[in-house]
Amino acid sequence: MNSIIEINNLKKIYSNGNHALNGININIEKGKFFGLLGPNGAGKTTTIGILTGLVNLTSGKIKVNGLDIIKDYKKTRKMIGLSPQEINLDVFFTIRELLIFQGGYYGLSIKESKKRVDKILFDLGLEEKAYSKARELSGGMKRRVQIAKALIHDPEIIILDEPTAGVDIELRHLLWDSLREMNEKHDKTLLLTTHYIEEAENLCDEVAIIDDGKIIAQGSPKDLIANDGESLINITVDNWDSSLLPNFTSNFQDNIVTIKSKNSDKDTPYIINKITDANISINKLDIRKANLEDVFIKLTGKKLTDD
Amino acid sequence: MINKSFYTLVYREVWRFLVLYKQTIMPGIITAALYMVIFGEALGSRIKLENNIDYIIFIIPGLTMMSVIGQSFANSSSSIMQAKYLKFIDDYLIAPVSGFELSMSFIIGAILRGVINGILIILTCALFTSFTIEHYFLSLFFLIVVSCAFGAIGVIVGIVSKTWDSVGVWGTFVFMPLSMLGGVFWSIDMLPESWAYIALMNPLYWMINGLRYSMLGISEISITFSIIISLLFAIIFTILASIMFSKGYKIKS
Repeated sequence: MNSIIEINNLKKIYSNGNHALNGININIEKGKFFGLLGPNGAGKTTTIGILTGLVNLTSGKIKVNGLDIIKDYKKTRKMIGLSPQEINLDVFFTIRELLIFQGGYYGLSIKESKKRVDKILFDLGLEEKAYSKARELSGGMKRRVQIAKALIHDPEIIILDEPTAGVDIELRHLLWDSLREMNEKHDKTLLLTTHYIEEAENLCDEVAIIDDGKIIAQGSPKDLIANDGESLINITVDNWDSSLLPNFTSNFQDNIVTIKSKNSDKDTPYIINKITDANISINKLDIRKANLEDVFIKLTGKKLTDD
Repeated sequence: MINKSFYTLVYREVWRFLVLYKQTIMPGIITAALYMVIFGEALGSRIKLENNIDYIIFIIPGLTMMSVIGQSFANSSSSIMQAKYLKFIDDYLIAPVSGFELSMSFIIGAILRGVINGILIILTCALFTSFTIEHYFLSLFFLIVVSCAFGAIGVIVGIVSKTWDSVGVWGTFVFMPLSMLGGVFWSIDMLPESWAYIALMNPLYWMINGLRYSMLGISEISITFSIIISLLFAIIFTILASIMFSKGYKIKS
């Protein structure tokens, strides 16, 4: 396995005694789109804070491309671009100037940095705002500048902490397209933290579910759902025979039979055949597919999001 | 140590105060000019010094040093406070630079602001009176070393302060009184013996005396000791500021 990020037994106890991370282990392969999924306060931001140098670890080890993030911090930090959750733009300079400085912090010359900035401003649709200051931008524009800051030095690894928090649906989908392009066309490894199920399912090749500072499941969204998720097949019928589907858990109420299925794509045709063979007429069919939220509820007994 | 990352950090720090020159350069010059008019021209003619030097000329090094201290401290402390307040300090903390490089970028910004202010004040004062600088390089040395010391103190205060108020407290309640009691407007000969002894305990007195010697060629105390005290302050606080950045004291979780 060609791991680009290796997190081993990482622990973080804050000075107030809060155990934010309780020995997590994560391996992220080069070129993957990896999601760290969990509710607020689960330890996502602490994990990437340690990875990027914003938070001091209590114990454990993190390697980036085989290099220790503490001993070889100058090398590892150049490989990482971070788009933090909170907007943190320098208000003294124009967007173009602050991006040029950002490139400089990562070792680009002013000339190289200017070239990169002009390209990124164009790619992210920010060229008209190049000479505006941060306070003149809308929330969505600021979010794009945050992402531009992470990309300016062309890092191998791009870390995005809740990149679409608080942005409208249109921009969210635009950002998703940009992120997919970075991963697929430019071969970047992306680490995304999110509490949006849809985001993780749509973008990530692999997801780690984190809760209370522990990784409780890791795998592709498809596998996680297949292992721990259950789809609900709701069929409206005139009458019901409870002995018809002995291998399924079902419930009949108000003329609707609700059947739990681990694989709705495979089970639905079988169930329909069984019902029609029993001369029960089907008035309506509705399938609610299992998602990562169901996996999270099953594993922790609580909901992932409040919204 | 000189690499592109460090160079950019310094460039940003210098560019920041140059862009804001109305807040960072002009006030120091105007204040010094006012002091020259009020204390030098209006009151100075009534004050006689033992070494027969004009009072208006006597206060120029003190006024310069007072501004250099205030400006260099303000530069680094306010820059860090703004970065903390707007959270873009994270951009520095995740950059591939050491704590020493980070602290030095703020300190170099503070040195340049202090030295530019100092030189402009000396030039402004030259409009009011005529004097010649005795030791140019020693004058520059004191401007640089004292700016470095107070730039480093500004870094430390910027790191530990939670509010703008706590930064302001240092200027109002510590540096201004120490400057005023450090011989900006008086010679030690003018003081009663007990106060003269207390003045010697004030490090700013040694720094002001050092610049006064380098500019006017007069010294009330040992110039060597002035150089040593100024250097020690600069070195100790620069090391302390670098350690704080390296450890992430109060700025990393």
